[in-house]
Amino acid sequence: MSVPVLWTYDLDEACYAARLTAALAGAEVTLRAVDVVPGAETGSAAFRALSPMGRVPVLVDGKVVLTQTEAILTDLARRGERGAALLPDTPEALDWLIFAARDLSAAGRARAAALFGTGDARAAGEARAALLVLEDRLTAQGLRGAGFVAGNTPGVADLALFPGFALSRDWGLGHEAFPALRLWARRIRMLPGFVGMPGLPAFP
Amino acid sequence: MSGWTPVALAADLPPGTVAGVVLRSEEIVLWRDGAGPPHAWKDRCPHRGMKLSFGFVRRDRLVCLYHGWEYGADTRCALIPAHPDLDVPETIRATPWQVAETGGLLWVGSRDAGQPPDLPEAMPLRSLFLDAPLDTARTRLRSGGLPGLGEVDLIGDGPLLRFAQGGHLFAVGGHEIGPAACALHLTSDGTAAARAALVPATAALRREVRAQSRGAAA
Repeated sequence: MSVPVLWTYDLDEACYAARLTAALAGAEVTLRAVDVVPGAETGSAAFRALSPMGRVPVLVDGKVVLTQTEAILTDLARRGERGAALLPDTPEALDWLIFAARDLSAAGRARAAALFGTGDARAAGEARAALLVLEDRLTAQGLRGAGFVAGNTPGVADLALFPGFALSRDWGLGHEAFPALRLWARRIRMLPGFVGMPGLPAFP
Repeated sequence: MSGWTPVALAADLPPGTVAGVVLRSEEIVLWRDGAGPPHAWKDRCPHRGMKLSFGFVRRDRLVCLYHGWEYGADTRCALIPAHPDLDVPETIRATPWQVAETGGLLWVGSRDAGQPPDLPEAMPLRSLFLDAPLDTARTRLRSGGLPGLGEVDLIGDGPLLRFAQGGHLFAVGGHEIGPAACALHLTSDGTAAARAALVPATAALRREVRAQSRGAAA
């Protein structure tokens, strides 16, 4: 299998989810940095030719171009030698992956508004509501002895959801009211191969 | 009001972990070293005021995320990584609260709080964070318990609100976060699976209280 190119911006949470998935799966990627802020490279004609919606991340392998985060995470899991266990191969795993894409996307918009002035400040309320639903889920999972959103082991859904919670302080939401998510985030941080991002240090 | 307040479920603070809590607008860091006893301190690093709850536990010390200053269980700063050979002055200390673990809960107390309560063991259900004054949440819980579980039988008096409902026994401690925010720390009997099945009812209570306080504000 050839080595794909991951177009990525260090401060973007979806790009981080992709790098984290590649690291945990053991998938080899070549990183290509995109200057989103302040360079606005995602608006350039060259980038739009690659990603018509002007979004990062993008995963490119020859003629195959993936621009949807969840498709990228799944593909990276499929490519890595440790990635098979991460694949969303149950209905619940897929359900929570789509929850990350749809409901928790508000966290990304709230964060973009707080950091770059490009998102939607009203999204903070939606993001908090989604995180409360996720807190309820992880509370029940924890009582059932399942440490992750759709089972006993982490999956792509957990990795897609993780940045939305882990980076919530960037848009002003602390972690005090989310004990189950705090413990779940710690379990993810303890996974072999975990990598952090700016604002989210990997504890030594 | 007693000098001791429950601020978390004991089970939500496993050994080697750290958590931030807010009690009546005071920020407190809870952490447990590897051996297990809990610690509660003011959530400020004496160095630059960073929240210690952003840090992590390493080798039985709480480490500040900002510059890596390490504090031992006795509150003393034991290591300043930028000056590894420095014998750190013993005046550099975190500010402790009193802390106790009983009834499946972690309690904090002020210096003059006296003896902490002594409660029977209880199994964790969850901490439920509500956008409502503590009194509102308590009143709602006393009258209706958890939504959908039927009649509520209040049991006795004590530092916790205890009631039977729907074949379950509940013991609930609450803490005030601010004038319009509180947390209820729910413990229950029964198997873990039975407690997991109660989580939707706790979420329903959160939605009810939210709708109620919105109505009151309107």
